Amino acid sequence: MLELRNVSKRFSGIPAVDDVSFTARASEVTGYLGPNGSGKSTTMKMITGLIERSEGHILFQGKPIEDDLIAYKRRMGYVPEEPYLYTHLSGAEYLTMVAQLRDLPARQASVRIDGMLRLFSLHDDRHASISGYSKGMRQKVLLIAALMHNPQLILLDEPFSGLDVASSLVLRSLIQELAARGKVVLFSSHELDTVERICSRVVILHHGKLVADDSIERLRTLMELPTLEKIFSQLAVEQDTDRMARQLADLIYE
Amino acid sequence: MNELVRKLIDRLPLEFRVLYRQFLLRVIDLEALSIEANVPGFLGQFAGVLIMLSLVHSTVAYIGYVYIPMLERMAFLFHMQHYLIATTMLVVGLATVISWDSTFPDRRDVMVLSPLPLTPRLILTAKITASCAVLGLAILTLNVASGVMLPLILGAQSGPALGAFQTLPAWWFTIVAASAFLYGSVLTVQGLTALVLPRRIFLRLSAFLQLAAFGLFLGVYFVQPSITTPAAWDRPQSQWILASSPSYWFWAMFNQMNGTLPAELSWVAQRAWIGLGFAVSGAGLSLLLCYLRTMKKTVEEPDLVPGAGGLHWMPRLGGSLQDATAQFSIRCLTRSRQHRVAFAFYLAFVFGLAFSVVRGEMAAPGPIPISLDFMLPTFLMMFFAVVGLRNVFSLPISLTANWVLRTTQIRPPEKYVAATRGTLILFAVAPVWLLTACLSLRLRPVVEVANHLAVLALVGCIVAETCLIGFYKVPFTCSYLPGKANVQLFFWGSAIVLVALVIPCVEFEQRALRDANKFGFMVCILVGCALALHAYNDHRGKSAVIHFEEIPDEVITTLKLSG
Repeated sequence: MLELRNVSKRFSGIPAVDDVSFTARASEVTGYLGPNGSGKSTTMKMITGLIERSEGHILFQGKPIEDDLIAYKRRMGYVPEEPYLYTHLSGAEYLTMVAQLRDLPARQASVRIDGMLRLFSLHDDRHASISGYSKGMRQKVLLIAALMHNPQLILLDEPFSGLDVASSLVLRSLIQELAARGKVVLFSSHELDTVERICSRVVILHHGKLVADDSIERLRTLMELPTLEKIFSQLAVEQDTDRMARQLADLIYE
Repeated sequence: MNELVRKLIDRLPLEFRVLYRQFLLRVIDLEALSIEANVPGFLGQFAGVLIMLSLVHSTVAYIGYVYIPMLERMAFLFHMQHYLIATTMLVVGLATVISWDSTFPDRRDVMVLSPLPLTPRLILTAKITASCAVLGLAILTLNVASGVMLPLILGAQSGPALGAFQTLPAWWFTIVAASAFLYGSVLTVQGLTALVLPRRIFLRLSAFLQLAAFGLFLGVYFVQPSITTPAAWDRPQSQWILASSPSYWFWAMFNQMNGTLPAELSWVAQRAWIGLGFAVSGAGLSLLLCYLRTMKKTVEEPDLVPGAGGLHWMPRLGGSLQDATAQFSIRCLTRSRQHRVAFAFYLAFVFGLAFSVVRGEMAAPGPIPISLDFMLPTFLMMFFAVVGLRNVFSLPISLTANWVLRTTQIRPPEKYVAATRGTLILFAVAPVWLLTACLSLRLRPVVEVANHLAVLALVGCIVAETCLIGFYKVPFTCSYLPGKANVQLFFWGSAIVLVALVIPCVEFEQRALRDANKFGFMVCILVGCALALHAYNDHRGKSAVIHFEEIPDEVITTLKLSG
């Protein structure tokens, strides 16, 4: 179980994440939603330990993550928002390096990398330089790197970005399968349809503050709205989107 | 004056000024720098080293002119002229290699600039102007003092004050012509290969060409003998050097313009004029054709280039972190232009020294006794290789991709220090040691040679451990903060240490090689130093934090408000 207690992050005094608390449980997929700049990726980075929080506590399996950061990192898999990779390496070289850094036995790593590359249709291009990979191919490399060590906690920040339809469908099923096998999955996305299909509960963030934390079913009932999109629009979208589009078109024609 | 320059600049088209500034900054990879980096200060340090060299050159020229007897003075001045021309050509050559490919449109230029309403001619002009500005600055700083002192001396030597009015323009014309020849030749070779070969093959070959040019410039500079006396240039074996060495062509060109060239060498000066003509016209033509043809070829190039199907095996080096660090390092060094060139700069010294040893050995007919002439260069080779690799480790390859190292940091920091140590030993200490072993095959007695190799290995380990002090980073991952190393201080500090410390130490080693007690004592001291440094780095590593962003030391500013 992953638990955030009153977590805040301020950049030069300006709060990016403000007093956020929620729990992501094993065997379920928790959706983490919010408009651009709401603090989703900042939260994800705090959970991975990439940035330090200003206040609050993050606990995994009941223990603060900083108590044994190394053990925590061993059990965590992370797909970042942007597909930043060492582009001078080939896909196979990058994944082998990650396996080495994670101290996976060479034979086991080789079997897993090879198998996952095949399943993600990357095997033929495994020796090509990542600099030539498309966004979707890079995303697949990130997914393999995040999952190859069989992590207990899976953090996915926009994992569908750039993926083709077939790969998206595979990933969608994979996330559900992993959750069903007892993993803690925290999943951030702007694709509300997908979130509605695979997440059992959602956490919605707006201007760095938590505005909802419940199961989708309960939110529908409470807010008397039919879809997650409507719920999200009511909680986290301030602008009249049609009016904004008209204003943009007017500016272009000015 | 500033106002006038600004007005002139403002008259240039805005698009040109924007492009020029962008291309000028490409000489340094700004993405690799720390957010706190002071770029002008960093460049200023390099300019400072060149200016200092120029001052040293002019002082040597003046002292030589005053103190060398009349009969030998002309030979000294000929030698000085050739040395300064060759050094300028070397610096221009190195600058050309460092900014390799920067004059030609790359994929990024094509994808970003092609959709904009800009003509290829404008892009080409901005690129050439930016490259020329960098080269011009290098030429100017290197000759700022010597480029005035030497012509004045030569003018005074040849007679009345009028002499300097002829010598000064002749000298500067020669310097610019020699630089233009070198730059133009490189552009011609690059342009022709880009035009003739398919783009994918050209890109692969270009990396090798770059290293070959680097090795050629340094090899020629260090290996070519001095033939600036009548006796030397009359020798039959000197003729091919005069015929094939561009630095001698331009030396002859200068003396031709100055009216001091012996008649029998006018053919050498003629080569400079012909070479200059070919280089300039070849560069112009190939650049023009490249901009007309290559930009189109670059767009058509497929994004995904299939990898080599052959060998993908890498050696296991002991521990997965050690494997990851060493393999990542070798891939950065071989695949990143910036890192390859930066390391080649240091390797150039290593190979230059190795060439000088080979030259000495080739001159001897049989087995050679081990001497200072061999021992000193080997220590310097070790120093340049280890320090060079350590310095190149500081240049990051992709800061945005470092998150993976941070999220997979599942070992204590001292393990990372150990992995970096292993990589330094593997790619710097071991190759130099093996090279030295090969160079020492003709040296005798064998026992002394073996003892020297043992000492060299220990010194290599000590230099590697010294380089690791405070280096709590994964190679090629931490952002670079220019100026922290203080190039001026390092350069001149190393020179002073070399003279004051290394030479006496090497002399001591030479004596110790013939005395078992002294040798044993020396080895004990070296082993003790190596172990102490190793233990110190391990101890400090345990409490260290691996960092990925270089931040300057905090400075407390006193406001002096009290009293």
